[in-house]
Amino acid sequence: MKIATIPFEQAASARVYSDYMKRVKREIQSLPQQSQDDIYMEFNSHIFEAIQHRGSTHEIDALLDILEKLGEPHDVLKQLVADKKLEQATRTFNPLHIFKALVLNITNGFSYIIFAVLYLFLFAFLFLIVAKIMHPEQVGLFTQDGHLKLLGRTTNPLQPGMVEILGDWFISLMLFSAVLFYFIITLLLRIKKSINKK
Amino acid sequence: MYFVLYICFMNETFVANWKSQLKKGTLTFVILNVLKDNEYYGYELIEEIKKHTDMEVAEGTLYPILNRLKMDNLVDSKWVEQGTGIPRKYYSLTEVGMKTLAEMNAYWKTLVFDIEKIIK
Repeated sequence: MKIATIPFEQAASARVYSDYMKRVKREIQSLPQQSQDDIYMEFNSHIFEAIQHRGSTHEIDALLDILEKLGEPHDVLKQLVADKKLEQATRTFNPLHIFKALVLNITNGFSYIIFAVLYLFLFAFLFLIVAKIMHPEQVGLFTQDGHLKLLGRTTNPLQPGMVEILGDWFISLMLFSAVLFYFIITLLLRIKKSINKK
Repeated sequence: MYFVLYICFMNETFVANWKSQLKKGTLTFVILNVLKDNEYYGYELIEEIKKHTDMEVAEGTLYPILNRLKMDNLVDSKWVEQGTGIPRKYYSLTEVGMKTLAEMNAYWKTLVFDIEKIIK
């Protein structure tokens, strides 16, 4: 989408403006195109309206003042981008979006660290599926003398009494666990989002 | 000497901090009330708030707040093309926003009434 640039009388103003808008663009590039356009156009509109209402102030002075009040794109947009990303992630169920939303929100509270750990489990389950295919004897759910001993991969030769009990079912179980964790994470994120709103 | 001066005057820093917290806490409430009777675009909304209150709205904080209000379905927005070529994004209260604000305003009145009883 072509977004109109603001015409300035002075070349210096145009340069300051273009530099600021470039930084805005960089901050929001992880969002879907529509959200990017929306945020970009809103900042553009704000600067334009403020310039129009500057009165007798010199253009460059007014612009510097406006941009200072708007704040550094990185600081101002951090929360907005994190919010939008979370909104997108919980709407689409797309793992990549959820992962990005978690990374952006991880500094926003302890609960997101828990989400990240749950996500780590999810990837571990997926990793174990690949590992099972490559090393069927070393990967699985192992018991020793009737007790659960290990879920995962053993590098040592099996200890006496240690047996893998799931066989090929292991892959199905890991796949099921990954999907289950995935839905749990997304649902928890939705609940968390609705709690945030209250 | 300084100590005497200090205890004779109010604690300005304390009051300044208190005011700032109060303003921060009521900004969303003010925004909703400004949007109650009219739709505004971002810049205009800031000017309206400044006109009616002594709040210095940090421009950068307004847009994330408006986005949250939109996510909560309290406000809606629409882009309106302008002759200048640079469209404006107008914000207005939704049906849910109106009802929510009515509830908030009622609570505010009770709060002010109670506080004034204590102040007396």
